[in-house]
Amino acid sequence: MGNRFGRYAVWIGVALVGALCWGVLALGRGETVNAGWLLFAALASFAIAYRFYSRFIANRVLGVDDNRATPGERLNNGQDFEPMDRRVLFGHHFAAIAGAGPLVGPVLAAQMGFLPGTLWIIVGVILAGAIQDMTILFFSMRRDGKSLGQMAREEIGPVGGAAALVAVLAIMIILLAVLALVVVNALADSPWGAFSIAMTLPIALLMGVYLRFLRPGRILEVSAIGVGLLLLAIIGGGWISESSYAEAWTFSGVTIAIAIIIYGFVASVLPVWVLLAPRDYLSTFMKIGTIVLLAIGIAIILPAMQMPRFTEFASAATGGPVAPVGPLFPFVFITIACGALSGFHSLIASGTTPKLIQKESQVRMIGYGAMLMESFVAVMALIAACVLDPGLYFAMNAPAALTGGTAESAASAVSGLGFSVSADTLNNTAANVGESSIISRTGGAPTLAVGMSEIFAAATAFLGGLQAFWYHFAIMFEALFILTTVDAGTRVGRFMLQDLIGNIYRPFANASWLPGNIIASALIVAAWGYFLVVGVTDPLGGINQLFPLFGIANQLLAAVALTVATTILLKMGKLKYIWVTLVPLVWDAVVTLTASWYKIFSSDPRIGFFQQRSEAIDAYNAGEIYTGAQTVEQTAQIITNATVDGVLSIVFALAIIIVIADAARVWVGLIWGRKEPDLQEASYEESQLDVDGSILEPVGAGTSSNRNE
Amino acid sequence: MNRALQPFRSAWWYLKEISGENAYDRYLAIHGATHPDRLPLGRGEFYRQRQDEKYNNPGSRCP
Repeated sequence: MGNRFGRYAVWIGVALVGALCWGVLALGRGETVNAGWLLFAALASFAIAYRFYSRFIANRVLGVDDNRATPGERLNNGQDFEPMDRRVLFGHHFAAIAGAGPLVGPVLAAQMGFLPGTLWIIVGVILAGAIQDMTILFFSMRRDGKSLGQMAREEIGPVGGAAALVAVLAIMIILLAVLALVVVNALADSPWGAFSIAMTLPIALLMGVYLRFLRPGRILEVSAIGVGLLLLAIIGGGWISESSYAEAWTFSGVTIAIAIIIYGFVASVLPVWVLLAPRDYLSTFMKIGTIVLLAIGIAIILPAMQMPRFTEFASAATGGPVAPVGPLFPFVFITIACGALSGFHSLIASGTTPKLIQKESQVRMIGYGAMLMESFVAVMALIAACVLDPGLYFAMNAPAALTGGTAESAASAVSGLGFSVSADTLNNTAANVGESSIISRTGGAPTLAVGMSEIFAAATAFLGGLQAFWYHFAIMFEALFILTTVDAGTRVGRFMLQDLIGNIYRPFANASWLPGNIIASALIVAAWGYFLVVGVTDPLGGINQLFPLFGIANQLLAAVALTVATTILLKMGKLKYIWVTLVPLVWDAVVTLTASWYKIFSSDPRIGFFQQRSEAIDAYNAGEIYTGAQTVEQTAQIITNATVDGVLSIVFALAIIIVIADAARVWVGLIWGRKEPDLQEASYEESQLDVDGSILEPVGAGTSSNRNE
Repeated sequence: MNRALQPFRSAWWYLKEISGENAYDRYLAIHGATHPDRLPLGRGEFYRQRQDEKYNNPGSRCP
């Protein structure tokens, strides 16, 4: 009795702390708010959501059953199927879902002030993002690890399945282009950055040979060597930038874009051990290490956030100057995807992870818990962007057309936005981080790197600051795993394409058939390479054109996932709990379709693609140069880009409508009892495992003898 | 003494598990239990096969 009271007293305490922090965030007085309030508001909310909501979903909604053997136990083959220790699996799953997304989105959304982004990240993950990850993980696990596309086809129908496939391919291509564009914006005209990133190639080659031939399987050893060399490469970049080689290592955006395209093609064609696998290890270690460092840095420094709760752009009908341009609703909700709700996660939650789960109840920790952790990363990225002076933030993120490109013109442009920053401050900040200029370094990565470097430099003040080193450390970390995503994503796209073409021309289906490999790789690279080059050369700033497409495509995939989850819940006879997935689905559909509406029909040329297109055509026909363009050719370029992007927006919006309409047909049949619920679960088998949390010993013969059902 | 080292031992275990270094030992144990009649793969061969396998059946990762 006393024990139970004690337990509830703890949770009441957590709730009170959370409420206090939220109160200070929302209503506190004073110029600035300390980041600690935000940190603890997030932690308390996550703790309560995990303890109560995820438990309710696991026990009541999904009905997890630890007596039922998981596919990892039934089909254990020591390779892709294997019951893995839940803490290890948590680490794997987290490393797979946490990419550049949760870092970039919150930085761009900070233009509205820190509160809109914070609210969406925390409320969104609790009620939508973590729900999607957990339910899809569970449903895929009950189906022996089927992919989202397969589940969509089997549970909804061929139309929904085909739309899901289109969504996956499209999101892949736009995503790779946007991420590569972020890297290009961070490395252009930066000899330090370009040198350090270029050095990751020989480092990866060395690691690949070491791991394949010299010391096979010694992953920790080779990773330690790799990380050491990586740090040397960052230091070496500093020397280069100050030496006479600096000029030779200074590249334009277009040159870097072409280099990345060539690299993506080569990495996709070559065997994985040469480049991809070693880079994967490096980027995973760098990723986890940097996230931990950032958490420690923020906890030590507890910086004050300079960004106000809301900027005036939060209530402006056309939003702020930072891409993607558009009003707070719906654009904040597509700008921050990873960290709040990311459709991409449903691809990971169906596929690899469900085959490795030990016990059904662990979907709570791995599905819901890992997503909360990713959300926490997004909160930290938001803090890092908001500790910067808002004037500096806008000088870095407003497009070059607005800032004019020099410190003086940027300072006056920022004061036109209602903030202030001196040209000296801009020049000094650039010098402090070892760059020639930080004006209009759009895309989010450089801003985050400056924010992180300020936090790290303050935390390591006893070493003399080292801000330039930390800035390039942060750039390296972002570029490294973005480029790893580009490798891996190109490869995944290549496999999907080979599979597709294989239906028409058989040899293509064989993934190791070289001509097929080369043709499919080239097609995928050409697709994202096109958008990358367009983005780099876009007179209006490519991020503004492409980021909304990326956000919409990602949330489109989330709509597919939540539709599948809702359908399966109905088939399980859980009509009374249908709101768990239906509410986030409706929200997501409304957000995505409203954003699509703006992109297609808005009469503001900065938002609506077709308005922009017709205005540019008018200018072109009149022989004038369209706003933002420098030449007639650039005006023509704007017309082409707006057409392509506008058509894509229409395709995405139609795909969402088709998937939901097709599923609604199934739902109506199920609810009115006209349709028998044909649940596609694998059959029940009693679990023989009694492990729960103990360090996993190799699983013995007892469980593997009955693995063929 | 032993207890003081326990956190480090756990951290080391976790690192080895999560990086996949332990995978071969686990494979040997399972192989011994299920196919005692067949010779297991060598360490190098096992890792090469596993690596190829992993990337030829791409799950996915998040941006």
